[in-house]
Amino acid sequence: MDLLAYLDAGSGSLIVQAVVGGIAGVAVAGKLYWRRLVDRFRKQPTDRH
Amino acid sequence: MTSAYPDLRAEPASFRDPANRVFHRGDDVLRGLDGRAAADWRALVGSDFFTALLAEGKVCDTVETSPAPPGWAAVLRHERIPFVSHPYEWSHGMLRDAALLHLEILQAALPGGFTTKDGSAYNLQWRGAEPVFIDIGSFTPVRDGEPWAGYRQFCQTLLYPLLLGAHLGLDFQPLLRAQVDGIEADQIRRLFTGRRRFRPGVLTHVHLHDAMQRRNARSSTAEVRNQLRDAGYSRDLAVATVRGLQRLVGRLDRPPPASHWIDYQRTCGYTAEDRAAKERFVAASLTAGTPTRLALDLGANDGRYARLAARHAEHVVAVEQDPGVVDRLYRELRAAGEQRILPLVMDLADPSPGGGWRGVERASFGDRARADVVLALAVVHHLAVGRNVPLPEVVAWLAGFGRPGTRLVVEFVHPEDPMARRLLANKLENTFPHYRRDEFERLLAARGHLEERLHLPSGSRTLYRVVLSG
Repeated sequence: MDLLAYLDAGSGSLIVQAVVGGIAGVAVAGKLYWRRLVDRFRKQPTDRH
Repeated sequence: MTSAYPDLRAEPASFRDPANRVFHRGDDVLRGLDGRAAADWRALVGSDFFTALLAEGKVCDTVETSPAPPGWAAVLRHERIPFVSHPYEWSHGMLRDAALLHLEILQAALPGGFTTKDGSAYNLQWRGAEPVFIDIGSFTPVRDGEPWAGYRQFCQTLLYPLLLGAHLGLDFQPLLRAQVDGIEADQIRRLFTGRRRFRPGVLTHVHLHDAMQRRNARSSTAEVRNQLRDAGYSRDLAVATVRGLQRLVGRLDRPPPASHWIDYQRTCGYTAEDRAAKERFVAASLTAGTPTRLALDLGANDGRYARLAARHAEHVVAVEQDPGVVDRLYRELRAAGEQRILPLVMDLADPSPGGGWRGVERASFGDRARADVVLALAVVHHLAVGRNVPLPEVVAWLAGFGRPGTRLVVEFVHPEDPMARRLLANKLENTFPHYRRDEFERLLAARGHLEERLHLPSGSRTLYRVVLSG
């Protein structure tokens, strides 16, 4: 259960905070998107079966 | 309700977070906490950062009391804010200082292991010209690897309104008044096109933010939180984000423009004798009866009479239509450390209506404003002639701010006065046959005891003091 979520923080609003946090933050956002990309390719073959 | 709380009244503005709720009991402001919120409060009250914020007056004074009302695990008692106001009644400088205080509190909380659940402008109120953070229920332990849940709300109710003012010279008040949740990224980005998108804070907090919201509309926040944590989002990064926001908000200044009202004191045609007589009359009116807890100055202009009233009243609310004039007054009061005069932006012919859920979440100005002394100096002609409000309506409206015993101090500008003539010249002749001194006096006398009357030496203005009856 999400402890902080009486308010919908907004998914995009969470990610953009990494980007505005400076170079280290941009790296975190980059990593998040890279992992999403990798996950998509990994999942695709199993999705077909 | 138990016998300890026979007359507990739920605050209509406090329902969004089910973990806690504000109640009123007489003059007491109480907050019920559920089990987890009570545990958070006890951790908070033992923390160094919160103790420091309390000592500095940056958060509202709060103590735990007992017994807890039925259905709640604990109860807090808060200091009473002298007059509750809404962000759309604040000037640019006020909203900016409120935003800076919110960020300062978050910046203090994060190293102490806490964050705030939200980031709303409604988390802040005023002691005169000093902002104070009131939403004690918002503090919650921070979980490492999570960005600030209140960021979107902060943008919508504080940052975007400030961007409008600082970068485009637009007043934010009408938009904030119309939308209880503030301005959406999707709305404001349409105003920041072309080169404007390169103004400080716009590319990231507006355009990128809006694009991210669209692209991630189908991802849940729980999913994104996990992804961010796995990608290495740290508390240091959260602190850096808040620091970046502080720097940005610090740059979003909008110096008040020179406006005709700012020169009003010099150009309105009062002689030195008029002014001295008027000041004596107002001062005498403030001390004429029971001590004044709250004085309302309607049409406060540069705050001359609000300051005078503050010498004799515990608190003064100074209402003025022109945001630039209010901002100038606010800056002077803030610089002087004034904690008893609250300046507010409002068109008296269009005062704040009730807003939010069922129109009661944000109480209307009429529902909030009950004063011991009401000053309406050089304002009646603007309403009765400038805005065509029938004179009986104006008097009924003024009386509505009082209770039996309230002193109403009102100035009537005769139709022959140069200022009234200037307003009348814009309207068809004989549009206002009832705009006469005898008619005004008759209407006042019907509302209570006409205690004092003073004709100003220059001859075209009269001051009245009426003690309202039931």
